[in-house]
Amino acid sequence: MKKPYLSVKDLSFEYPDGFKALKNITFELSKNERVAVLGPNGAGKTTFILHLNGILGNLDEEIEINHLKYSQENINKIRKTVGLVFQDPDDQLFMPTVLEDVMFGPKNFGFSIEEAEQNAIEALQKVKMLDYAEKPPHHLSFGQKRKVAIASVLASKPELLVLDEPSSNLDPASRRELVEILKNLDISLILVTHDIPMALEICKRSIILNGGKITTDDETYMILKDRNTMEENRLELPFGFALHHLDE
Amino acid sequence: MDTSHSHHLEIHGNSILSELKPELKIFTTFCIVFSIAFLSLENNLFIFLQFFIVLYFLFISKIKVKTYFKRLSIDIPFILFALFLPFISKGDNKVMFEFFSVSVYETGFNEMISILIKITLCVSLAIVLTATTSNIEIIYGLQKLKLSPLLISILSFAIRYIDVFIDEFKRVRVAMKSRGYDEKGIKGLKPIAYASGALLIRGYERGERVYNSMLSRGFTGSIELKEREYKSSKSLLLFSTISICITIIDRVLI
Repeated sequence: MKKPYLSVKDLSFEYPDGFKALKNITFELSKNERVAVLGPNGAGKTTFILHLNGILGNLDEEIEINHLKYSQENINKIRKTVGLVFQDPDDQLFMPTVLEDVMFGPKNFGFSIEEAEQNAIEALQKVKMLDYAEKPPHHLSFGQKRKVAIASVLASKPELLVLDEPSSNLDPASRRELVEILKNLDISLILVTHDIPMALEICKRSIILNGGKITTDDETYMILKDRNTMEENRLELPFGFALHHLDE
Repeated sequence: MDTSHSHHLEIHGNSILSELKPELKIFTTFCIVFSIAFLSLENNLFIFLQFFIVLYFLFISKIKVKTYFKRLSIDIPFILFALFLPFISKGDNKVMFEFFSVSVYETGFNEMISILIKITLCVSLAIVLTATTSNIEIIYGLQKLKLSPLLISILSFAIRYIDVFIDEFKRVRVAMKSRGYDEKGIKGLKPIAYASGALLIRGYERGERVYNSMLSRGFTGSIELKEREYKSSKSLLLFSTISICITIIDRVLI
């Protein structure tokens, strides 16, 4: 049997205050697969993706990506393989200029200065932000910051891109641009979102996290059609959004 | 809400100083400030020579007179402190004159003049430096001068996140005002204190998130800025040397 690209086995996590954020999570992802992580606020979605990047958790090999076990000695390879885009781009962009910020990751992961700059330029081109390369990040609009944050992760050439609520606070046009960028990426994707139409458009498969557990793992479309599952997990389709035209 | 970025002091003009290496400008500023601080002020000639050096830099910085005096107001606390010295610094107890039956001492008076001259000249140089060098360039210059990487990181973060904090504070104040908050009076300070506390906690939490995002991109402990190209200038080094020589002659030879 073919081994999955990413496998998480029986992962649990408890915060120092005793709150159990993740309870026996088991999850698998194939190469170049796109999965949306849905669920109500406080369900453990962000905690889960912080584990995928080795930021949280005790690295005791509950997770494996591309035959690479999560451990302290592998941590740099894991962080290079799994690119994480945070919810608030202001948390991610801290260097004086956009280009330097996008070069930050590749430089840390051992690319030469020339390679890092080349990667950064390519990544900025992908998100259509190359014209802003010399601008300070804090002078950009929120949508532009979000695109630069994605570029800053893409520049390290990750194999799996994990995004935490990428469409939050974006205007409709910026959201549309973001969807196009993500659809055109040729890598594995985990998308944590409350934006159900976005999940449907980008990810064929979705999982629902609720109360620290994976309650549902199915095709996104099937989940959205199941009214009971949606209600149990505090999920709703946006007003006026209809699925029936997809059946035709 | 966008910040006004009021703390950005660089003036985008056509001063030749703007094109020079930041590390050279920082080094020159440091040398001249150091020389002025150690000037004895016993010989007027040396004071005037240092004064003309500072005046020359002010001139070539092309900073407007109004902007200069506005920025010079930063030394008002030092001036206020200096104005008290003639009344309290007794030294050899030599009274110069009585001012509303309060004794004005000669030692204190001289100290006041010394502080006023030195602080004004030093602040003027700082104004020239900040008006012709952006925040990023100052950090870059300090990196070139081999300042500790930790300090460089702290400075970069301070500059990057001060806007974010100003914006957050503005948003909190707007939200307070929209619920009828009146800033006037001592009572108005209490909510501001609570808001500041909340911002402090948010700042701490943001710090954790920023650190996590850095870790996720393989942060190993140091931040290095990209190489930049600037013009070099021997005249800055010449002025630094002249300024230092003036103070050495003042202190040692005379």
